[in-house]
Amino acid sequence: MPSSDRQQAFRAGILACLPLSPGVMLFGMVCGAAAAAAGLTPGQSFALSWLVFAGSSQIVATQLFAAGAPGWVIVLTGWVVNLRFMMYSATLAQHFRGTTRLERWLAGYLLTDQAFAVTLARVLDGRKDIPWFFLGIAATLWVFWQVASLAGIFLGARVPASWSIDFVVALTFIGVLAPLLRNRAMAAAAAAGGLTSVYLVLPLKLNLMAAALIGAAVGIAMETGMKQGKRKR
Amino acid sequence: MADIAIWGVIAALGTATFATRLSFLALLGEGELPVWLRHVLHYVPPAILAAIVAPQLLAGAPGLAATLDGPRTAAALAGLAVALVTRSTFATIAVGMAVLWGLTLL
Repeated sequence: MPSSDRQQAFRAGILACLPLSPGVMLFGMVCGAAAAAAGLTPGQSFALSWLVFAGSSQIVATQLFAAGAPGWVIVLTGWVVNLRFMMYSATLAQHFRGTTRLERWLAGYLLTDQAFAVTLARVLDGRKDIPWFFLGIAATLWVFWQVASLAGIFLGARVPASWSIDFVVALTFIGVLAPLLRNRAMAAAAAAGGLTSVYLVLPLKLNLMAAALIGAAVGIAMETGMKQGKRKR
Repeated sequence: MADIAIWGVIAALGTATFATRLSFLALLGEGELPVWLRHVLHYVPPAILAAIVAPQLLAGAPGLAATLDGPRTAAALAGLAVALVTRSTFATIAVGMAVLWGLTLL
């Protein structure tokens, strides 16, 4: 691709990112503030933000740090939250043929839910300038995220507890969860996951791991059941 | 946890996450996800997101002692309704927080 086309795609990516920025900034600030409140040093909190660079996983790790979970449980649970990226990676790779290794590694590092979702919409529009469009949106989101994290780390402690700002985390997750509830199987997976994490008390804070596995199993069973039900009719 | 152990956990989680993201991009889509893995990956996000949220909407310790927390549960349901209709995280947060603040101030 000529470099002017690349620049154009990159710029289109930056523009496409702007409508998402308020939500991303708010989530980033909450993640930064939560890490600092859990007792991580500012350096550790910021490292979480640029090394892991995935809000849900950062929040899970933060909560487990605060709860005194063992290190291996934190790594395992935080990683399970990020397994979905493998699916995104597989989809995105089909549109990254002909790119350099550096471009692919950058794209891998910068891969997020939002960047993937917006890029997928462009794929469905039939556009061919996917790699640099993706890099434009993903790099911009990265900058917004890091700035917001720093703001959260250093300003979070000044927000009075009576504002219940911690509840923003729960609402953010609800906002991410709702679009996934497209059918009964997905809803069943979510319901099973939620119930498991509340009612199944496991040592070492393994509840979330168990909830992810049980929820996935219920979703798959439901999907299989729905397919068989259709076949019988 | 010791300071050095915290750094180790952050580095390990960061590395595992990067490897997961890079996986198929590095292979340039040469590999294919097995169907069973695709299924698991499809259903893990709703399960784990709900698992993270659910305890925060209740009062009391997890387990059979957990009960509904009036304002938080109501604010979460309002947020869920907004999220389902608008699909906007920002609107979800705005409405949910407004309901929570309104109910706790009353």
